[in-house]
Amino acid sequence: MAAITLSELTKVYATGVKALDSLDLEVADGEFVVLVGPSGCGKTTALRMVAGLELITSGTVSFGDRVVNGVSPRHRDVAMVFQNYALYPHLSVYQNIGFALENKKVAKAERDRRIRDAASILGLTKLLGREPQQLSGGQRQRVAMGRAIVREPSVFLMDEPLSNLDAKLRVQMRSEVLRIHESVGAATMYVTHDQTEAMTMGDRVAVLQGGLLQQYDTPRSLYDHPANVFVATFIGSPAMNLYEAGLEAAGTLVLGSQRLELPAPAAARVAAFQGRKVLVGIRPEDLTVSASGSALVADVRFVEVLGSEQHVYFSIDATPAGAAAGAVVADESAEAGILLGSAPNGAARLDPRVAVQPGGRITFALDPARLYFFDPDTGQAITG
Amino acid sequence: MTATVAPPDAAEVDLAGSRKERRKRERLEERDGVIPVQLYGLKRGTVSVMTICCVLFAIFTLVPIAWIIINSTKTQANIFGTFGFWFARPFEFFHNFRMLFEDVDDDGTYINWFGNTALYAVLGGVGATALAAFAGYGFARFQFRGSKVFFYIVIGALLVPIGAITLPLYLVYAKAHLINSIWGMILPSLVSPVGVYLMRTYIGLSVPRELIDAARIDGAGETRIFFKIALPLMVPGLMTVLLLSVVGVWNNYFLPLIIFSNNNLFPLTVGMGLWSQHATTSGDQNLYPLIVMGGLVTIAPLIILFLILQRYWRGGMLLGSIAN
Repeated sequence: MAAITLSELTKVYATGVKALDSLDLEVADGEFVVLVGPSGCGKTTALRMVAGLELITSGTVSFGDRVVNGVSPRHRDVAMVFQNYALYPHLSVYQNIGFALENKKVAKAERDRRIRDAASILGLTKLLGREPQQLSGGQRQRVAMGRAIVREPSVFLMDEPLSNLDAKLRVQMRSEVLRIHESVGAATMYVTHDQTEAMTMGDRVAVLQGGLLQQYDTPRSLYDHPANVFVATFIGSPAMNLYEAGLEAAGTLVLGSQRLELPAPAAARVAAFQGRKVLVGIRPEDLTVSASGSALVADVRFVEVLGSEQHVYFSIDATPAGAAAGAVVADESAEAGILLGSAPNGAARLDPRVAVQPGGRITFALDPARLYFFDPDTGQAITG
Repeated sequence: MTATVAPPDAAEVDLAGSRKERRKRERLEERDGVIPVQLYGLKRGTVSVMTICCVLFAIFTLVPIAWIIINSTKTQANIFGTFGFWFARPFEFFHNFRMLFEDVDDDGTYINWFGNTALYAVLGGVGATALAAFAGYGFARFQFRGSKVFFYIVIGALLVPIGAITLPLYLVYAKAHLINSIWGMILPSLVSPVGVYLMRTYIGLSVPRELIDAARIDGAGETRIFFKIALPLMVPGLMTVLLLSVVGVWNNYFLPLIIFSNNNLFPLTVGMGLWSQHATTSGDQNLYPLIVMGGLVTIAPLIILFLILQRYWRGGMLLGSIAN
């Protein structure tokens, strides 16, 4: 039985805004599930409904086989880490961590032992006597974690707990959060807008957009088999290149003025769309500059060298898929292109040793078997 | 729970230190955080002119206090016969002070009135502060049916002058047997619309919803959240309301005047008024030095209260609690 079950969970605010629309989600015991999506997609609302901080418009939240819709947060036995920590500023680290145990009337000796256990897991032992204002951002974050784990909860909720940390500390805390999750073993729901966190931390990831669940799967599946255009373009950085393309008989893909011959399995997948338009997706890392494979000629607009790799932003004469199809288009490459006056409409992730000049022409090699296809009307993946 | 994670302590700044050092650092940080006046783009001399205006206004405000201090040392003859803003022999400060506590006119004694005032002010002030804290918290942090309407009624009460409700108040008091009762003085003092309004605003800014949510998740009941989490953060606001309420009751003249006819129940305001009346009508009672000294002693506790409470008015209560 799942530890947390959300069934047709819906939230409509008094203003009429539908924040969450019939969300179905199961979190198994000990599983780490990440809810990811752009801001306003309903992920925090969903988490707050599980915590009991938000009234449920319709649907149910169950822990085990117990429906907890009407149960107050204090009786739900959930632990939660808030985005901005929400530490009690006038209490010491020791008291902050122990507050929940005090509320539960846990005996003093037991309380002390558990506070010190949690503190030692988080490396806070020396800071127990301090007040939150005497701590650095990372330390405060760990106190917030400590306050949650000390309760040994069966359900663990985290609302963007790392978003206030600087980039370096965030990477460090990612693995720390996972190690804590392993030692606590509670079913965990983790909200973030950061796809890297989602991909690296989640056993399974739920992608939300506009209050609707887009896909709920393992990070690997989300990346390799995106259910629709939104997931395809939201997961991955730089985002998947997406173009409108025509499909001629015998599996020839027309991409602007260029043609790509599809191998038989791929052609069979999109056979139903023959003579019509499809959306074709190309991951930036699937473009290479080797001599073999089908070729795609592009004009290089600008290059970002990151050290270990380089991102080459280019334009081809194909029409990029717009937001109408559900693609995430407002990325940095498009913005930068507006400034340059000639918007690039694609990106490639290349080996940094390959010499690429902005303004020059480049011929990419591409394995047509690694193309993604989407229905231009529905935005759904074409799986054949 | 056995795995131990090495803390990234090395990279973090050590923010410990004694409270005193921290205060000092906070003060300096505050100074560094303010744009210096030279960069305001003001015309030359503007700051000096404004400063002079402020000093003049301060002098104007402090003149009566200087007068009362100087004249508390004089005899009745000297109060009227010498320059008001300088001392004159004989120096009668201690004599006047001693006389203050004697029943000079069979009207009642200063010490008695002082005790009454203190009682009314403490009970009324503390009670008003407590009620303002509860009501302000309710208005600021709970949604309930009619909360807006009730709050507008509170705001409306701010606009009604006490003079306008004197007659109905007196009639109600007569029915309720509150004439010549200390409850007649204390009960209305417990209600402080200004206090409720101030506390609602203060709580809205200083007690974040997230903190209350966190405490709820931590399993605390609403009463415990109020006393253990919210109340400590409300202290600066509470001290403001306490001071305003105590001063309000301490200086209240009109209400005790209409409800008390028994001299033993008078607060200082009415008692001193009685002395002042007698001094003008009977003349030679040597009452003026006592009225001046009485005035001085009356304001002293409020100044002391202000000095005690001002240390609670400090910002940064939420430092470290909520990250932006």
